[in-house]
Amino acid sequence: MSKLVSDTAACCWIPLFALRCEVARMTGAAPSSSHPIALLSPDAGRRLWQVSPVARRAGVKPGMTVSQAIGLCPALKLCEPDPVHYDEQFSLLVAALATVSPVVEPVELGRAYVGTDGLEGLYGAPEKIVEVIQLRIANCGLRIGNASIESAIANPQSEIRVGCGRGKFVSWVAATRARPGAAVMVQPGEEGKFLASQPIAVLPLDPDTHRRLLQLGIRTLGALAALPEEAVVSQFGRAGRRLWRLAAGRIAEPVVGLVVPEPIVVALTFYSPVGERELLARTLDTLLDRALKHPRRIGWRVHAVCVHAELEHGASWRATATLKDPTADRERLAAPLKSQLEQAPPAGAVERLVVEFTAFAPGTAELQLFARDANAAARAGRRRALKSAVREIELRIKRPMLYHVIEVQPWSRLPERRYALIDYEP
Amino acid sequence: MKTDRLRALNVPESVAVELDADGQPAAVRRSKDKCGGQAVETVLDVWRTDDEWWRHSISRRYYEVMLDSGKRTVLFEDLHTGEWFIQKP
Repeated sequence: MSKLVSDTAACCWIPLFALRCEVARMTGAAPSSSHPIALLSPDAGRRLWQVSPVARRAGVKPGMTVSQAIGLCPALKLCEPDPVHYDEQFSLLVAALATVSPVVEPVELGRAYVGTDGLEGLYGAPEKIVEVIQLRIANCGLRIGNASIESAIANPQSEIRVGCGRGKFVSWVAATRARPGAAVMVQPGEEGKFLASQPIAVLPLDPDTHRRLLQLGIRTLGALAALPEEAVVSQFGRAGRRLWRLAAGRIAEPVVGLVVPEPIVVALTFYSPVGERELLARTLDTLLDRALKHPRRIGWRVHAVCVHAELEHGASWRATATLKDPTADRERLAAPLKSQLEQAPPAGAVERLVVEFTAFAPGTAELQLFARDANAAARAGRRRALKSAVREIELRIKRPMLYHVIEVQPWSRLPERRYALIDYEP
Repeated sequence: MKTDRLRALNVPESVAVELDADGQPAAVRRSKDKCGGQAVETVLDVWRTDDEWWRHSISRRYYEVMLDSGKRTVLFEDLHTGEWFIQKP
C-alpha cells in the first residue's frame, strides 16, 4: 500500500489538552480560568504534568513535586490523570480530521497534522480548508475547557489553534503563533521571512542546546540561520545541521498519514456441522484471539466486528457489533456477539464460522498510541500478571503470605511507626 | 483500609545486652542465638529519641554498633524500663 504523504500541512494544536479534558469533566462550577489546577503525571513519580495558567502565575511549574506545588499555591486543585480518557478524546479529534483529509498524522495529545495537498479542489482556498477543519472538529463531540468547541469557533475563548504552511515545522510554528480559535497561514515562499523572527524555543531543542544557543546570543531563528551552516554543525554536530535547516526553512518534512488497515478475516471450517452453542462460543473466542494477533491489528483498536456462519443446506447467519469504545480486548469484543448468539442463534448447524474486523480506531487502551500511555498500558499489563501470580500462590499455600507495604507515619522518628504490612489483594 | 489487618513493620526485638564499665553495650544476645551472644567491636554512633510526651512518653537511647562479625546493628535502650531492643534504623 502506498504511503500517504502531503507536503503542505495544517497543524491543529490544543495546548494543555489533557488538563482541558479534566476541566471539561468537572461538574458544576469549574472555574478553569480563575482557579489554579494541575494534573499529575501518569508516570510513577508523583510530579505535576500540566499546569493551568493561573497556577503557573503562582509559580507552579510542570515537573514539580506535589509538596513543592502546594507550598507555592495552597489553593491548587490536583487532578489524577486518566490517560485512556485523553486518548479517547484525542481519537475523536483525529477521526474528525480524517474526514477532512486522508493524510492525518497525530503527534502528541492535542497536536495533529493534516495534509492539505490537493484539498483546494474540494474545499477551495486555504482559508476555506481551515474553516472546514474547525467545523469538523466542532461536530466531533470533543469537549475541552468549559465551552464546547462549536460555540467557540467564532469565540476567542476557543483553544484550537491552526497553523498552515509548507512542511510540518512551519505549520507547527504558525500554530504556536496563532491566537486561540484563530489560524496563522504562511504563504509559499514566505517561510524564511516568517521563521526569522521566531524565538529559538520553537525548535525541537534539548535544554542544554537551548542554553548554549542563548549563551551564544542566538535568540531567533533568523539569527541562527544567518550563521554559516558549517559553523553550527561544528558546534552542535548532526543535530545542529537539522536545527539550522529548520531555522532557515530549508527542510519541509511532509505529513505522513496513518494507513488504516484492511479488514482482518479469520475463519474455521468444522469437520462436521456444529449446532452446540457452547462449542460455537468457544470457537468464536479462538477466532477472535487469532484475529487480534494479526500483525495488521497491532496499534489499532477494533471498532466494528462481524461474525458470520455458513450453515447446512446453504443458509447463513450473521451478527455484527459496533463498539462505543473501540477495544483490543477479546472479552469485550466477544460479549455482544455471544449475546446475539444466545438471543438469535443460527437456524441450523454451522459448517464454517468467520470473524471479521471491519473498522478500526487508532491507539488502544491496551496498546496506546502515545508513549506516555504505552507506559500506563505496560503498568496495567504488569498488574494483570501480578494478579495472576497472586492467585496462583494463594491456591498453592492456602493462606495469605503476600503483603503490601503501606506508609503509616513515614515522618515518624520511631522506625516501627513508619510503615506497616497489609494483606495484598489484587 | 482495614486497620485491623495492619501488621507493624520493623517492630523492635527484645535482646539481652551486656554493658561495659561506661554503660555502653559490650555484647548482644538475641533470644534465637543458641551459642551465646556477639561482642560489640565498636560503638559508631549514639543518639536519643524522645517522642509522644503528650500521651505515653517514649524515651530511647540508640546505639549504632559494629559487632565482632563485622555487622552493623542498631540497638536501643528504653529509658523508662531499662530494657534493650534491636531494630533496623
